[in-house]
Amino acid sequence: MEVLQVRVDKRMIANAPWLLILVTLVIAVIGVWNLASAARPPATPVWKSQAVYVVIGLFAMGAVASLKSQFLQRLAIPIYVANILALIALRFVGHTAKGAESWFALGPIRVQPAEFMKIGLILVLARHFHEDDRLKIGGQGLVRLIKPMAWSLLPIGLVLVQPDLGTALMLVFTAMTVLLFAGVSRRILVLLLVGLAVVSGVIWNDFARESPPDDPHTTLVRHHLKRHQAARISGWLNPESDLRGTNYHTAQSRIAVGSGGLTGKGWGKGTQTGLSFLPEQHTDFIWSVWAEEQGFIASVVVLLLYALLLMCCLGVAFHARDRFGAFLAVGVAAMIFWQLFENVGMVIGLLPVTGITLPLFSYGGSSMLSVFLALGLLVNVSMRRHVF
Amino acid sequence: MTPKLNRSVPGKELKWRYVALGGAMLLGISILIVQLYRLQVVRGDEYAARSVANFVKVTRVLADRGMIKDRRGEVLVQNRPSFDVFVTPAFCQDCVDQVLPRLAELLEWTEEQREKAVADVKAARRSAPFRPLAVQVDIHRDALDLLSGHARDLPGVDVTPVPHRSYRTGPILAHLLGYMNEVSNRELETPPEEGSPYQLGDYVGRAGLERSFESTLRGDDGLRRMVVDARGRSIPDLQWLIPEQEVSPTPGNNIVLSLDMRLQEEAERIFPGRAGAVVVVDVRTGFIRALVSRPSFDPNVLTGRVTRQQMAELSGDPLRPMVFRPTAEHYSPASTFKPFTVLAALRSGQFFENSTAMCQGGYRLGSRTWRCHSAHGHGVVDAGNALKYSCNVYFYKVADSIGLDAIAEVGKDFGFGSPTGIGVVSEVPGIMPTRAWHDRVNAKHGGYSRGMALNSSVGQGANTATPLQVAMAYAAIANGGNVWVPQLVEAIESPDGKVVERFEPRLKNKVDVKPEHLALVRDGLSAVVNEPGGTAFRRRLKDVKVAGKTGTAQVVRIGAVRLRHEQREYWQRHHGWFAGYAPADAPEIAVVVLNEHGGGGGSSAAPTAMALIQKYFELKQEDRAQAMGVPAAPVPERVMAQLEPSRNERPRRRRQPVMASQAPEVTVDGEVRPLQSAPVVPAEPVIPGEPSATVPVEGD
Repeated sequence: MEVLQVRVDKRMIANAPWLLILVTLVIAVIGVWNLASAARPPATPVWKSQAVYVVIGLFAMGAVASLKSQFLQRLAIPIYVANILALIALRFVGHTAKGAESWFALGPIRVQPAEFMKIGLILVLARHFHEDDRLKIGGQGLVRLIKPMAWSLLPIGLVLVQPDLGTALMLVFTAMTVLLFAGVSRRILVLLLVGLAVVSGVIWNDFARESPPDDPHTTLVRHHLKRHQAARISGWLNPESDLRGTNYHTAQSRIAVGSGGLTGKGWGKGTQTGLSFLPEQHTDFIWSVWAEEQGFIASVVVLLLYALLLMCCLGVAFHARDRFGAFLAVGVAAMIFWQLFENVGMVIGLLPVTGITLPLFSYGGSSMLSVFLALGLLVNVSMRRHVF
Repeated sequence: MTPKLNRSVPGKELKWRYVALGGAMLLGISILIVQLYRLQVVRGDEYAARSVANFVKVTRVLADRGMIKDRRGEVLVQNRPSFDVFVTPAFCQDCVDQVLPRLAELLEWTEEQREKAVADVKAARRSAPFRPLAVQVDIHRDALDLLSGHARDLPGVDVTPVPHRSYRTGPILAHLLGYMNEVSNRELETPPEEGSPYQLGDYVGRAGLERSFESTLRGDDGLRRMVVDARGRSIPDLQWLIPEQEVSPTPGNNIVLSLDMRLQEEAERIFPGRAGAVVVVDVRTGFIRALVSRPSFDPNVLTGRVTRQQMAELSGDPLRPMVFRPTAEHYSPASTFKPFTVLAALRSGQFFENSTAMCQGGYRLGSRTWRCHSAHGHGVVDAGNALKYSCNVYFYKVADSIGLDAIAEVGKDFGFGSPTGIGVVSEVPGIMPTRAWHDRVNAKHGGYSRGMALNSSVGQGANTATPLQVAMAYAAIANGGNVWVPQLVEAIESPDGKVVERFEPRLKNKVDVKPEHLALVRDGLSAVVNEPGGTAFRRRLKDVKVAGKTGTAQVVRIGAVRLRHEQREYWQRHHGWFAGYAPADAPEIAVVVLNEHGGGGGSSAAPTAMALIQKYFELKQEDRAQAMGVPAAPVPERVMAQLEPSRNERPRRRRQPVMASQAPEVTVDGEVRPLQSAPVVPAEPVIPGEPSATVPVEGD
């Protein structure tokens, strides 16, 4: 069977999402430039490897784009299974970094399977809804949700035990967005809102409720969390407490962002960056470097670029030939959005700290490659919207 | 392959969901932008300031403390590098379990020292983990080598040279110079009125000049601002981020004392007693030239960390070395008080130059006889002879005639019974009893009785004075009635040696006394030394004419048998006094020597005073020869006499006051503060004012 669609249709070229590709490239290039400042000497100049990852990512994007769409559908489950297996294998041969087993060490290269799991999940969900005939009938009830939820919960559980709460949450949000997009019954919607209220209530009870110190109230979830996880949530709720300990990251991050002001300190002149007040500044906290050195205006510009990218993704979904393509695009858009929202939100002190990378900005081959692969899927979908 | 195609066409029902989803995403991004706006635009300046505070590390550059010099510029107190051992808790791994025990072993700490260090490090780990904490000051060179050899086993341990106070003269002048030790928590909370606030581990002057002149000596600390990274390491390449990097410290000013160290050392050397005091003061100005308190202590031990054992040794010594005897202890002035009784007699108008008393060895008052020291009597004595022979009977008669208050009035005029105002050290005022005083203090036993006046007239009974008071009173006799405030500090000098402030003589009281009365007393005092039969005649000097008075203060009642000096226990021996001035005709210095339990003043105190006077004039001669470029050779006194006119106005090394308006006001601390170790009771166990059956034995 012909896997690659070698014969290139004229319409396929015309239908390629050029704006999406352009925006992706612009963001990635800005990211590399920013990284050159974030990891300036004497730190390792990782921006060079990042540039290489971008190039590799482009090739991967092209490769994915040239796959036949039927083949892509058929590949969904194998890819999903392969990722699941990789996550399981991680339990045994994984490389432990910062208390979490999330890496495969392949010689000098470290691969983070969870990054690719997102794509696997999106593919599987898209395939599921593609084949679900009853979508037109109305919102999904509990019974119809069992299957997609099972697809989702398996990888979420595996990532959670690594433990990588951040990536697990990303999977949850992405899957939930896709599920909601597919439409749910009113009852489920109400149930969801109730669930949200319950979670808020639990967080309030465990972290925010005032209680006399001699009478510690019972916590519902807090004592099940890891110490650092609990500390992050309470740090998020009380950002000005324990600035040297738990809230060091968030405090330093907010100082970096805030001190950037309107126009920033200039490329390579960020003091928070240059004097390493922020650990993880070239990966999870890369946004603080941009905000500190480039200021508010440039930050808004980049956020608008991301917004444009997301709109492009939704555009691809809107014009998709079939539900598979539409759900694929929605899934990718959701994935990028949630990562952006959580990462920037955590850097600027809106959300608790989780180990989530900023797509196209954070240093890291796995992250970069997974984003390009995901966008490659959209290019694939977009190009084939008139091809049957 | 298109069976599922139709089923799978995205339905219209999905279309509005794209709008909703896109809207939700844009809303999310808007939230991010709003928060960015709040951080970067609204609170941008605040965070910019906080980021600067992040990378700027301010360290203190300690100001050099001023030196203390004698009047000729000899350095008495200075700073020398001391190698102190610091532990930075943040960098000290396994500090309590490994590093500190190792350190204790290398530095041979006691258990007590080790426990303190462990406690300090534990406390600092929480409060200031990055601040180096001094665990031992001033280690020996050998220990320094030992520590640098074991640097690998001692992470977070540094040995840093720190300026340390060095008292070069050791126990000499210890009370006056004072000492320093670490700032207390209370002082940290209340910042000083002058200068920058103290920080943990700073040293503060604790006594004497170090305390009184703390703000002068201390100077202002400077600052050094460094760009540091998150671990506190300095990043010199980024130093340009800070515009103003250094505020240099202002060193403290030097203190120039009025003391002449050569004279001081001579006094220390020749003073024969185990305990006592020597005062040499310039009668023309009130500036002190030498001031001995024996026994003393070594301030080098007290500065830094005095061990409990050392402290116990100091405070347990029966001779009480911490008590500064010239001002903080008072004694019966004994016969040295007699000139003032004479002045009172003359002032009363009841006695004249030629008024006499008949001494037959005692004076009868009521049923009791006050004995004179000469059992067979001095015969007919006038005021001059009374001083010369130290005949008690004359003074008993005076006291009986004019009463206690008339004597006390003159005594108080000359400064008895009130603090001299020296300021630098603590003082007791002494007691100049009056009728009212006796009535108050002795109310239970009937108050004042006439016998008390008799006791006081010869400087016994309740009458007590400090050696410095006696010296100032004698200086006033010598200079025509000016009771000066004794001063120790002549000038304050900037670190490069320019005089910042010069202190002028300060008059405490100008005594209203007739010149002829003074002349009479001075002749009497001169006779004591220079005429045969005078109590100090045997101690007179060949070259210098001295005037003075001996005194012997009894410490316990004299029993039925008069014991000789050597037969008494140390604590029961008499105190020996000599107070005088020289030259008798044109006085320059007043000298007081008090030899506790030394026996008679003529033998135990006068020789010291005479030798000091001798030394003073030798030094003067030496200085003059040096000033004229002639090698210091003994110049015959006759030649000296010819040079006499220029003697008083010799070219002074002093410069004009730079800040004349600020001149006087020496006393940083004019308050009188009786030390606990110096209780305000007479040195002798005679109950004040009690009409004692004892005979104030007097004279030599």
